[in-house]
Amino acid sequence: MGTLSALKDPKLAGPFDGYDPKPFFCELLGTSAQPSKPLVGIWQRLQSLDVTTLLRRAADAERELFNLGITFTVYSDKDAIDRILPFDVIPRVMTASEWGVVEQGVTQRVRALNMFLWDIYHDRHILNDGTVPAALVLGNGNYRPEMVGFDPRHGTYIHINGTDLVRDGKGAFHVLEDNGRAPSGVSYVVENRHMMQRAFPDLMQGLRVRPVSDYGERLLGKLIEVAPLGVTEPSVVLLSPGVYNSAYFEHIFLAREMGVPLVEGRDLVVKNDHVFMRTVAGLAPVDVIYRRINDDFLDPEAFNPESRLGVAGLMRASKAGHVTLANAVGTGVADDKAVYAYVPRIIEYYLKEKPILPNVETHICGEPDGLAYTLDNLEKLVVKPVGESGGYGIVVGPKASRTEIEAVREKLAADPANFISQPMVDLSVCPTLTPGGVAPRHVDLRPYAVTGKHTWVLPGGLTRVALKEGSIIVNSSQGGGTKDTWVLEEDAP
Amino acid sequence: MTLLSRNAEQLFWLARYIERAASLARIIEIHSSHGRANADDLGWAWLVALYSNQAEFAERHADQTSRNVIRFYVSDADNPASIRFCIKAARENARALRAIIPMDMWTQLNSFHNRLLALGGDEFDVVRLARTCGVIKVGCYEQLGVAESTLYRDEGERFFKLGLMIERADQTSRLLDLKFAQLATAQAGGAGIADTTFWALILRSAAAYQAFRRHEPRGADPARVARFLLANASQPRSIAYCADNIQTVLEDLRRIYGLRQARRALERLDSLGNGLLTAADDHDLVGRLHAVNDWLQQQLIALTTELGEAFFGLEPPMPEPAGQTQRQTQTQTQSLS
Repeated sequence: MGTLSALKDPKLAGPFDGYDPKPFFCELLGTSAQPSKPLVGIWQRLQSLDVTTLLRRAADAERELFNLGITFTVYSDKDAIDRILPFDVIPRVMTASEWGVVEQGVTQRVRALNMFLWDIYHDRHILNDGTVPAALVLGNGNYRPEMVGFDPRHGTYIHINGTDLVRDGKGAFHVLEDNGRAPSGVSYVVENRHMMQRAFPDLMQGLRVRPVSDYGERLLGKLIEVAPLGVTEPSVVLLSPGVYNSAYFEHIFLAREMGVPLVEGRDLVVKNDHVFMRTVAGLAPVDVIYRRINDDFLDPEAFNPESRLGVAGLMRASKAGHVTLANAVGTGVADDKAVYAYVPRIIEYYLKEKPILPNVETHICGEPDGLAYTLDNLEKLVVKPVGESGGYGIVVGPKASRTEIEAVREKLAADPANFISQPMVDLSVCPTLTPGGVAPRHVDLRPYAVTGKHTWVLPGGLTRVALKEGSIIVNSSQGGGTKDTWVLEEDAP
Repeated sequence: MTLLSRNAEQLFWLARYIERAASLARIIEIHSSHGRANADDLGWAWLVALYSNQAEFAERHADQTSRNVIRFYVSDADNPASIRFCIKAARENARALRAIIPMDMWTQLNSFHNRLLALGGDEFDVVRLARTCGVIKVGCYEQLGVAESTLYRDEGERFFKLGLMIERADQTSRLLDLKFAQLATAQAGGAGIADTTFWALILRSAAAYQAFRRHEPRGADPARVARFLLANASQPRSIAYCADNIQTVLEDLRRIYGLRQARRALERLDSLGNGLLTAADDHDLVGRLHAVNDWLQQQLIALTTELGEAFFGLEPPMPEPAGQTQRQTQTQTQSLS
């Protein structure tokens, strides 16, 4: 840490004294334990605040998030408890060139996934020539035969996509997971920025950070692009499962930022394959629905008949081309953990390009080689069930007890196709405020790509941080928090 | 702009619950700080009669002790008649409206609700009750003030105002009815004519004390007080003032926003206005006050039902068994779909 101490006043204690990212890539200091040239200024500003000040401002910020109602709600039998997503006040900063790679890589990936979806719901070239096993797609629980032959506007199935990225020990980005159904978290990107601007105006002063607050406008623009043909001034709505959904705040946020009605299933009705909403002036037409309800619950007539959240007839209206659903039904087959392993090949297949963002090495336990390798190396691997999200069911080999290893071995033997395994990825770390001072904590990054005719990527994205020392599970349900993510306008601020 | 029927109903009830909580808090505040002079006023059992909650109260408590009544109306979060429930329900409506209402309305209500949740049990003790209810009343005023300053004046704001005015008229009518019944009982029992304290309590409960003093410098008598709270068009909590506002709002809905379904409600407002004029001119207003209030309560309930059918997409309700006037809550009016 000799290089760091040269940058500070040796007489004053600073929050970074004793900060040591060890072998991991640090988002602020890189691999050299020294801030890269563009980030020196930010490091010095942080270093000039003492830990007590940082902690006090952090507490103010969290109280404010609570009163602003930027919360998710946990329901017990009796009470509804509002919780904030823990917010870490030390931002994650990316230079323009670092971001450029991510932006291009995400755009490339979304383009390939949309082409893959078109193909599997039409001619199935990629399945017929064996590039991707047909059973993996056609036998997948998220494959929707109802979508066969359906032509979405501009060939776009995944309008809103979140790509989970991690950085290895050298700082290279890898894709950990695609989220092409209804990725959440973008509201925190924008609200975290607002919070930082209120709580740390001094930290941002003079820096040119790319804005994120135009997300709503951009999203609305893209949704208008995919409105049914011939509709000139489309009526767009956001369809939410309602106030009891844990992501309800995000639904409010998105509707508010787009300036469109936030509807629930009971507000909509389908007549003659056209969708309408119930207003004080009677029924009003609906042309585009950004839906935050899963396929299963979207339309009791087409899918789960028990669903009371959806709207009967929505699929009919969609297939008749009278309403656009974003995202389209049936995208879950493209962000599946088993299909994920094939995405690099999918990119090369359709685009004839090398993937800009590589996958994390993945072993498919449904294939004999993958299963054998996984069983032989359980202590070294991370085993993930393919059907789960939110970090549930993941077994981290190097940190698991003998009992946990044996338990997952049995599950693998019983249902191998339900699992994939990956080597331990060395997630990068970011300086994070802890009660004991600033310490390295592991982070990932979820950029959001919005696609109508073309793709736009929100600069930065959601940085999730595992607040527990040593933990690499960043999910909010398992002790994760978030950070503001700054993409600098240039490489040297 | 598009206004969902559900959101219109939520705006209506957001205002109603806030106004209801404010009225209840004001009445309790006034009676705990000004009511001490008269030994008869120490009990709180009359609140149960004020809001026609006899049956609901009996389900929860054996005796109408002060402690039980205050708990029932202030801190019992599960009781739809309590202040805490009203604020919770107002916040739930506001939460569903967050994409529509100004951020400051939501933030004020959310922090107010959080502050209320954090109050300890001793804040509701007799010694602190007036202060606590004063704080709650101001929290409600703040919400109405933020709405007045920031809520966009479209159809949505009109439904907010309808809720506010209907609830306010309901509260004033109940207060008049109950207080005059108390007076009649006391006189029948041989007690003398009510004193200044009695009238001051009523007027303060309706936030009308100063205005009344200025308007009627010669002092209070039953007919003057009744007329003031019923028919004075400048008194913001009088029935006439509320009826005027409801009528203006309904006309706006019909004329500016082309909502012709407002017609039926407007007809009802015509007859409500005529009824008020007749009552105000009646030489025996005090003698007929209970009948007038009964009629008013029925009109307000019918109006709410009509608004539900015309704008909120609610089914006509099942005919209710005859009996005492019910206190309306959102759950009662929401149809099961």
